[in-house]
Amino acid sequence: MKRRTFIQGVVGAGLSSLLAENALAAKNKPLLRFLRPPGALPEDEFISRCIRCGKCGETCPNRCIQYFDLENGMSSSDTPYIIPREQACILCMKCGDICPTGAIQPVKRDLEPILEKVKMGVARVDENLCLSFQGKTCGVCYRACPLADVAIRIGMLEQPHVLDGCVGCGLCERSCIQIPQAIRIIPDADRKV
Amino acid sequence: MKNIWIKIQRHLNKLRWVVLTTIFSMLILLPFLHLYQTYEAAHAYDLLTPTEKSISDTMEWISKPFVDDPEVDLNNLKGTTWSGTLFGLKLTDPLAVVGQISAGKMVYWPFFVTALIPIFLTIIFGRFFCGWICPATFIYELNDNLATWLRKAGIPVGRKKLDFRLKYLVLVMGIIISAATGMIAFAAMYPPVLIGREIYYAIALSGFGSGMVFFLLTLLFDLMVTRRGFCRYVCPGGALYSLLGHFRLFRIQRDVTQCNDCAKCNVVCQFGLDPLRDNFTQECNNCTACIAVCPTDALAFKMRVSDTPNQGAGYLGHEYKRVHNIQTKEGSK
Repeated sequence: MKRRTFIQGVVGAGLSSLLAENALAAKNKPLLRFLRPPGALPEDEFISRCIRCGKCGETCPNRCIQYFDLENGMSSSDTPYIIPREQACILCMKCGDICPTGAIQPVKRDLEPILEKVKMGVARVDENLCLSFQGKTCGVCYRACPLADVAIRIGMLEQPHVLDGCVGCGLCERSCIQIPQAIRIIPDADRKV
Repeated sequence: MKNIWIKIQRHLNKLRWVVLTTIFSMLILLPFLHLYQTYEAAHAYDLLTPTEKSISDTMEWISKPFVDDPEVDLNNLKGTTWSGTLFGLKLTDPLAVVGQISAGKMVYWPFFVTALIPIFLTIIFGRFFCGWICPATFIYELNDNLATWLRKAGIPVGRKKLDFRLKYLVLVMGIIISAATGMIAFAAMYPPVLIGREIYYAIALSGFGSGMVFFLLTLLFDLMVTRRGFCRYVCPGGALYSLLGHFRLFRIQRDVTQCNDCAKCNVVCQFGLDPLRDNFTQECNNCTACIAVCPTDALAFKMRVSDTPNQGAGYLGHEYKRVHNIQTKEGSK
């Protein structure tokens, strides 16, 4: 019995340290550029809350929520993510309602609560790529933005300027007609508002 | 009256298969309904490909009698057995709660509450989830039938016996790993969650993920090493329910006065338990296969908080008659 407990202890300690190391390595790696669904907790907390049930994706009417396999490290396997250039979030807030653990916080679908609680990232304009900055008036990103004049405003020649209200839904990046896209979301892993 | 109840119990196994099949087909149906919902939300029926159109038409036909507005009403039915939403009632696997508490080192009460109904039922019925609900059980039992056929065809299958306490170690290890890494380790290796998720991935997203590989390996393990090996020896969920259901109220018990020692129950029990010697233990998953197979109706559910200790040879069997020198059938009373 003594030997048994000893072996159990050794195997246990070995395995858990191995896995802990794995998770840490994944954290230090440069992550892929992806967004978490709107209302998601800060990344570490999100990982420990998410039970990988897949209901957020199953309730997303826009099919923008996808799931990691192992490409982003063991710790974020089967967690939801959004690639805004492929399919951006329309801020319908249904994923927060259905999330059983509050890993994605429920947020009411109104301007105030969304500005207050959602911070998936922030848009950044590459002026060398943006058509409006090259003298060809475009303004598509402004027209795609669900929070126009709160998150983005346009100046002369429809040149876009991102404001503090940007929550990072990615609809601008999705709709940008330039290839590669001239506006992209820089994800915010802390998601602090 | 009591006799009728015992006669009904013989058919519980069929009912169980109906339940298992229903739940499994729901897991396949729900992703399709989700796709249909997204087609509806996009208001672009004419732009769908022929395959998508046929999915949309079929799902519309299936769901029409039950919903007015598919975009909203179909949200009432979401998820898997790991965590599901049933008409406003959120239900969660107790193992998910254990995993979340150990990974987050905090209790999120709104989540904890959703597991109370399953926990309560497990305390009363024991490991019923494993036998009656788990979508992986559905496949594992079919896999076990396959093993039986292979054996009949002369192909050897594994029937080793391991230590059933291994799964409690897996449960404890899972908790430790979850606490150490801050991720819910069970979600990566617990078969019902794998099955539910992978079916959803395959239908609504890009295809099967790595979880499917793990699940196929468990099927091979069951075939080549030991019968229903994953459920009996590895599954952390099974371990948790066994512990919760240790003092379960409803358990299958043997009526020694009716038993004829035929041992069919021991053969049919996929969990390798020993109903013939009253050795059900907390491992029994209430699958009722032994009740269905018993030729003398000696096995039935009884309300007791512990197993009857070994009652010895069945009164209708040869062994009992030999010991008690009984020659005629009347004498066996």
